[in-house]
Amino acid sequence: MTALSSTPEQMVAEPKLVGRPDVNRQRLARMGWAFTAPALLVIAAVTIFPIVYSVVMSFNNVTVTGNGFSLDGFTFSNYNLLIHASLWRDALYFTLYYTLITVVVELIIGTCIALVLERLAAGRGWMMALLLIPWSMITVINAELWAYIYNGTYGVADYILNGLGLGSPVILGTPTPAIIGLMIADIWKTTPFVAIIVLAGLVMLPSDVYEAAEMDGASGWYTFWHVTLPLLRPTIALAVMFRVLQAFGLFDLPYVMTGGGPGTATQSLAILAYNALFKNLSFGPGAAVATSTALLVLLGCLATLRVFRAQVGQEGS
Amino acid sequence: MSRRSAPGKGLQRRGGLALAAVAGAAVLAVSACSSSGSSSGGGSASAPATAATATSGSIVWSASPLTGTGANDARTVLINAFEKQYPNIKVTLVSAPTDTDTNRATLATEISGGSSTPDVFMGDVIWPAQFGAHQLALPLSTVLPASYWSRFAPGLVQGATYKGQVYGSPLFEDQGFLYYRKDLLAAAGLSVPTTWEQLESDAVTLVHSGKVKYGFVWQGDSYEGLTCNYMEYLTDAGGSPTNSAYTSATLNSAASIKAITFMRSLITSGASPAAVTTFQEAQAMNTFGGGNAAFLRNWDYAYSAATTASSGGKLTASQVGVAPLPTFAGESQPGYSNIGGWNMYINPHSKNVGVDLTFIQWLSSPAAQDILSERYGFISTVTSVRNSAAVKASNPVFAVVPTTRLTPRPAGTAQYPALSTAIYQNVNGALAGSTSPSAAAAAMQSAASTALSSTSSGGL
Amino acid sequence: MRNRKRTGWHRYVNGVSISTLVTALFIIVPLYWLIATSFKNPNSIGSSPPSLGPTPFSGGNYSNAFVGYDFGIYFRNSVIVTICATALVLALGTLAGYALGRLPMRGKFTTMVILLMISVFPAVAVLAPLYLLMRNLGWLNSYQALILPYTAFNLPFAIWILRNYFLGIPKEMEETGRIDGASPLRTIWSIVLPQALPGLFTAGIFCFTACWTEFLMALTFNSSNNFRTIPVGIAEFGGNFQVPYGTIFAASVVAVVPIGILVFIFRKFVISGLTSGAVKG
Repeated sequence: MTALSSTPEQMVAEPKLVGRPDVNRQRLARMGWAFTAPALLVIAAVTIFPIVYSVVMSFNNVTVTGNGFSLDGFTFSNYNLLIHASLWRDALYFTLYYTLITVVVELIIGTCIALVLERLAAGRGWMMALLLIPWSMITVINAELWAYIYNGTYGVADYILNGLGLGSPVILGTPTPAIIGLMIADIWKTTPFVAIIVLAGLVMLPSDVYEAAEMDGASGWYTFWHVTLPLLRPTIALAVMFRVLQAFGLFDLPYVMTGGGPGTATQSLAILAYNALFKNLSFGPGAAVATSTALLVLLGCLATLRVFRAQVGQEGS
Repeated sequence: MSRRSAPGKGLQRRGGLALAAVAGAAVLAVSACSSSGSSSGGGSASAPATAATATSGSIVWSASPLTGTGANDARTVLINAFEKQYPNIKVTLVSAPTDTDTNRATLATEISGGSSTPDVFMGDVIWPAQFGAHQLALPLSTVLPASYWSRFAPGLVQGATYKGQVYGSPLFEDQGFLYYRKDLLAAAGLSVPTTWEQLESDAVTLVHSGKVKYGFVWQGDSYEGLTCNYMEYLTDAGGSPTNSAYTSATLNSAASIKAITFMRSLITSGASPAAVTTFQEAQAMNTFGGGNAAFLRNWDYAYSAATTASSGGKLTASQVGVAPLPTFAGESQPGYSNIGGWNMYINPHSKNVGVDLTFIQWLSSPAAQDILSERYGFISTVTSVRNSAAVKASNPVFAVVPTTRLTPRPAGTAQYPALSTAIYQNVNGALAGSTSPSAAAAAMQSAASTALSSTSSGGL
Repeated sequence: MRNRKRTGWHRYVNGVSISTLVTALFIIVPLYWLIATSFKNPNSIGSSPPSLGPTPFSGGNYSNAFVGYDFGIYFRNSVIVTICATALVLALGTLAGYALGRLPMRGKFTTMVILLMISVFPAVAVLAPLYLLMRNLGWLNSYQALILPYTAFNLPFAIWILRNYFLGIPKEMEETGRIDGASPLRTIWSIVLPQALPGLFTAGIFCFTACWTEFLMALTFNSSNNFRTIPVGIAEFGGNFQVPYGTIFAASVVAVVPIGILVFIFRKFVISGLTSGAVKG
């Protein structure tokens, strides 16, 4: 009796209403917009102007001066520059596979943690509080902490690796170890995000389904794979979607730990945008990087929704 | 049918109207912002005979932390001394981030947004061209008499000039020095190296003798500081980064390849740890100050940082020596030191230019410069203060200052950030061994040429 | 499976407890390094090889953060801005999430996608125009300069999450309320919300954390010391070229404690959703 399943016969019906169905429907719809309006107003008031302005800037030659931005001439030249710039392509590839790897790893580890936590009888509160501490650290501080750990001469990671006989690799100075180092720092900090979302979803699953499966003699693994996971699909889709969103905006970690180096190995799209906007004061190309990134992430999120078949628009309509 | 769809459509119509209204407002706002207001700072304005200063008012000063905290904060001490002399002026300090790029981002956002505060700001010595080109700073040469600039040490005012106008008033100067462990050199019977080759072999000797963990530490991370280090080696080898008009880069020269090859050889020979490719000033300082390196290339603060416990220094004064940087064998002594430091700029939208000028002039007066030098160890920009015996005696580094030769970074172009990025990214790649020095020099040349040739490539 | 009673040593050493231990270690080890470094003297921070324990133990970094820097003020500002923004997000987000999940409106999918589009846009690019907006409103260096943008940028995520959890509540529960004649608001308040507490908790804690740790906007809009928040305050520790790891970590330990406390206090609301019995059938 849950709305989470994706099979058609379990799609929920409209609530039984008293009175003429048409009028009630309209009344409810109006009420719905009334409920939604305050949130939408706040969002629109703050975000519409900056986002529209940013997109407009990406299609213009922008000069930043002390008197403001001067936009002259609609042009595709910023995007043209982007597409032909190897730096942008490299940043895109790096951001893409960084996102892919970190999200997959966090999904797996986070779901495992959520499953464990759900079965934990005593101490769940403590574990949740502990879990959320890495997540609640300021991203720049997290980056400083890991930069300190990875330091080539007085970092503890170097000390441990030396002790294990693995030599003294300069973690942040070599491309692949630097990327792995960034990923570890990111995974440490944001796996709790996935874990808590999945845990909240797990906790809200009805237990009658489990009782039914148990009565049928299903094993733990079978139950998990064929009962729990499908029910969790919308929740996992949500977690994945927002993690993809955040991972694409990777900025603080490379900014503090490697500055986009060594070379340009860890230069993400957000760092490219930041450099273009605020280091070189070239707002046209910077806005183009930002807008194209937003577009790509949007497509990625929609694809995620499609992959998980979480039927967003069909429930309750 | 129609009944069911009417309210929905009505709502959608209303929603559509609302969206159109918002979009219209956005377009109006965009066009309003893009119309230029009154333009200030004409390029051909001449300097006045005297500065139009004011002695009452209140201004906001944006400055990143220098040194000291609480009551000992250098900026607070300066403000207090200034307000004591000018009781009718109030200066409010706004603390800017320590990271210079973040600092610039905030200032650019505020000033381009038309904010009249901060009235004055302390900015990096490499900002005048960029800020001048984007009209983010007031050309000081239009509001200060020409005689004002004669008090500064040679080269500093030139570095703050862009297209004939001076944008910054030098506040304090910085340069690169060679720091060494007097005790280790003495125990090994070595004298202070005067050539890079000598330094390299000394460093290797000391590391092999087991007396110190690392030989020579410097700043090799992929950031602005690497451009500073590289400029020193490049100028020592007789090269230069661009032509004087900043229209073409000369980074693929024999001197450039020699410089990069030497920097890489420091790592491969064992003179410097491989980790130096991730070192900024703080990491190099911690390594030397913790007693784990024999030689250090760093700015002038390093002497006190190495000998002060609260800064992480474990060394004593008798263990730390200062000398000018070495140069390559066969070149004239001493080696070149890169110029650093900070200037004072005025916000073009400031409403208190008179008070700003009073503050800036006071900051370059002996009263303020003495505080910066004697109390906090910053190198003064004013010649008379630099040469005074009392200042020279206050810090061993100051005794070395007159003997150094200076080389600036190629910051006289508004494209400097992209140029610097081209330099440090490629040099860092060569240091890490990802590319050969000649390939790195070629890549650097092509990236730099792109940077110099277009005004708005954004570093792409 | 779930309710299987374990006997003997299986009570303590089983898959769940071992996994818990491994997870806890994974979290704790870097945290330990953070806390240990915050108690070290500045000149043992750069020592090589690094000392595993903070010897000598020194609370100097903590006093430096509060006395040398105005950490107390930053803490207060962060608390005000974060709590107001989170409260607003939860209130507005609950209404919108419920409406977009349960009520028959046209264009729900479009609205959800537009919300997604807004949260997808990089903050870096939005910063300068947003600054213009704040300046024109005269809101620079104020609490509302941060509260409103934080609310606006966190609402999409909160709405998505809350909507997801509202959808998981069986419709029968609300129907009973409606048949009894309760208004939708009443239904939400007394029937739906208690069921969706885990979702509320999730949205709340994420919004809280996002606001607590936000840097770029806080830096640009509230540059005056009286309105500065914690992340911006910590960015100013140190001086030219100096990164005082000890003080920075000490300040961040202090900054993390409130969140840990909040989670611990509100953990019961996540558990209550399971044990209240209302979810079953």
